[in-house]
Amino acid sequence: MILRRSPDHRRARQLAASPRGALPEGALRRYLAQPFPPLGADHTSLRLLAVDLETTGLDPDHDRIVSLGFVPVDGTSIVLGGAGQVVVRGSGGLGQEGVGQSATVHGLTDDAVAAGAELTDALDLLLEALTGRVLLAHHAAIEQGFLDVACRRVHGQPLPTLAVDTMALEHRLVTAGWQTGWDREPPQGGLRLPAARERHGLPRYRSHDALTDALACAELYLAQVAELGRGRPVTLRQLTKGG
Amino acid sequence: MDTELVEIRDFLAEHAPYDTLPRPVLERLLPVLQVRYFRRGSVLLAVGQHTDVMYVLRSGAVDIRDRDGELVERSESGTSFAMSPLLQETPSSYEFTALEDSLVIAVPADAFLQLCREQAAFKAFFDRRHRQRTQQAQFAAQIAGRRFAGLRVAARELVTRPPVTADCGVSIREAAETMRSNGVSSLLLLRDGRLAGIVTDRDLRNRVVADGRDGDDPVATVMTTDPVTASPDDLAFEVLMEMVGRAIHHLPVVDDGHLLGVVTSTDLIRLEQANPIYLVGDLRRAATIDEVVRLSKRLPQVVRQMVEQDASADDVGRVATAIADATARRLLDLTAARLGPAPAPWCWVVLGSQARHEQGLASDQDNALLLSDDATPGDQRWFEELARRVSDGLAACGYAYCSGEVMATNPRWRQGLQEWKRTFGGWMTTPDPEAVLAGSIFFDMRPVGGSAELFTELQDDVLARTPGQKRFLAHLAGNAVANHPPLGFFRGFVLEGAGDHVDTLNLKRKGLGLVVDLARVHALAIGSPHVGTQSRLRAVASAGRLSAESAADLAGAMEFLGQVRLRHQAGQVRAGRTPDNFVSPEELSPFDKRHLRDAFQVVKQAQAVLARTYPLHYLS
Repeated sequence: MILRRSPDHRRARQLAASPRGALPEGALRRYLAQPFPPLGADHTSLRLLAVDLETTGLDPDHDRIVSLGFVPVDGTSIVLGGAGQVVVRGSGGLGQEGVGQSATVHGLTDDAVAAGAELTDALDLLLEALTGRVLLAHHAAIEQGFLDVACRRVHGQPLPTLAVDTMALEHRLVTAGWQTGWDREPPQGGLRLPAARERHGLPRYRSHDALTDALACAELYLAQVAELGRGRPVTLRQLTKGG
Repeated sequence: MDTELVEIRDFLAEHAPYDTLPRPVLERLLPVLQVRYFRRGSVLLAVGQHTDVMYVLRSGAVDIRDRDGELVERSESGTSFAMSPLLQETPSSYEFTALEDSLVIAVPADAFLQLCREQAAFKAFFDRRHRQRTQQAQFAAQIAGRRFAGLRVAARELVTRPPVTADCGVSIREAAETMRSNGVSSLLLLRDGRLAGIVTDRDLRNRVVADGRDGDDPVATVMTTDPVTASPDDLAFEVLMEMVGRAIHHLPVVDDGHLLGVVTSTDLIRLEQANPIYLVGDLRRAATIDEVVRLSKRLPQVVRQMVEQDASADDVGRVATAIADATARRLLDLTAARLGPAPAPWCWVVLGSQARHEQGLASDQDNALLLSDDATPGDQRWFEELARRVSDGLAACGYAYCSGEVMATNPRWRQGLQEWKRTFGGWMTTPDPEAVLAGSIFFDMRPVGGSAELFTELQDDVLARTPGQKRFLAHLAGNAVANHPPLGFFRGFVLEGAGDHVDTLNLKRKGLGLVVDLARVHALAIGSPHVGTQSRLRAVASAGRLSAESAADLAGAMEFLGQVRLRHQAGQVRAGRTPDNFVSPEELSPFDKRHLRDAFQVVKQAQAVLARTYPLHYLS
């Protein structure tokens, strides 16, 4: 019964329920037509796409995507040639409130945002890159939630995704390991991306645009699977467990 | 879409050699890069493995160890590594292991090699690094290897002459006389044909003279009885340790009761020293032609050893030439001594590669005799006999007879000085094909025996005339550019991998010879007395006839071609084959092929420049 609820099952069912009249040929249809990697696949051959969204807040229903960045991970290599970043233009109707306070976090001004792409084009770009891949993000629920809402707005359909969450993996590593010295639970902020990277000895990044954060997440993932597997392959099932 | 990977770009821009790249070049590079992670203890690249990327260490630490496990370098953030296997297309000579968890940027071979081709500063960095690291590694290997390399020879190889023996019943005086007449520092004493003792110079001093012994006493009273012996398979360093341990200087070598000879501490010292110097000294002292012939057989091993010690082709050429000179000189001296006083002054000159100090291992003998104009027709017999015996001796020493009969045995090349001047004059004023060919042989001339003044007089006369001989020089130039370097040779395998039916490459005729020809024309055009190709190139550059850059390029091409030939010949010597100039593509690494192609390009360009200097109308 687990299979019936799996993301890939939802993907297949959604494709089957969308005749070409309801969902014409395009990025979403191609995305739905491509199966997710099987849960038994091991990390050395796994295809993922590290994604980071800069948003105006944390609530997908009220806040909106300001920019998105992504970079593919093929097995144990981050493929910079597949990297992308796009600034999303406000739709005027919904995200009319401007970037406000969040501008200090991601460094985007209203001018830069205004010069960006339409949400529909930005989403298509991401879907092309995500086709056949596992979504990889730090606290993936945020990315999954915002992309789902964006998809509903643009295509009137949800977006099924299969995700690996580096924050969940980090939680697992620090709570399972005795070497952290933490008493079961990490301290406040201890699982945030820069803290997690520092723990793995990864370099500190100065910029925090969506692409840099996607890259930062991808690098963290490589460090995490190396530690999880200790030289042996890790399956996608193990990576998504509890994530 | 904005794909600025600022962190990666800025990181690379801060570290050599990527800091030399213009910003647009660096940004175009980003999309082909990959980021990889290596957990501590894991191996990025093992010895003998091929790689299709080079790495820049992003964070962490990587240890670089040579094949013996010696740490060569500990890389820190920003260090580039694993570029040598890419540049040379060889398996890695080092092992790269993550000392800490390490994040690395992988640069694919194509992109890296393109940067090396297009960005001079970028390439220079890796050349420097590569040189430093190979020098470090070679230095370590030499320290480890050289001390023992010579001393790994078996004792039987060290025995240079049959044992000098006497019965132990002889008197001390008789023993000393035997030593003196044989020129040895020790005498082996036999009883019933078996080794019973040894007496040395030192024993005669300490036990006879100092003790006031009578020379008529039996030698058995002062000899060392039942001396320590070596077996023929003992290695030289074992023999040395034996000698040092017992403070002795002579060790008889005995094979199953059969006496082979004596190894002395001098023999061992000689091993430790660079062989060529001793070989030249030994040749000078050789008492007979047979001994010269025997000694000259050591030349291939000397060259092989030099190649293995990474001597430059130029150095090896000089050493091989010095040995050839010493061989010829000793043969001349021994022969002249046997023939009696010369009827008139003479000068033995060598031609071609030996004259240029560029002798290889597969060299023919090219020589001639300059005779004083005082020599009468009746004197010819003496010179003819000298030429014949020396030429035969050289052939026995491994310098094959010249197939073109350019030898002093040929009456044409055994002339009086005035006749020689006329001959050169004829070549210069009527430059027919034969004259051009002769010019390319006889203009590389150097005296090795007899009266050098005869040579100097001829050379002064000829060189005073050459710069004005435009037509002759034009023909010589035409000849020098007629043979193109075999660039087509590479299309077969450099671009498409090893081809099936590619002929061997004649490195002498299609490579080295072309540089030699070019340098000769330029040198003669300025009337330079230099004969060696490298010194000719330096001379024409300082005379402003060739740009310093072209001269240096040609010199570099010459050196590289020479190295490839030497390695080829050293390999043949190792395999017990006769060395030649024919290199097959299979012997060449991709690195060699690439550099050979570069060398040929340099030659081709230099030929084009020379062709412009001597337009065709001179030839009509």
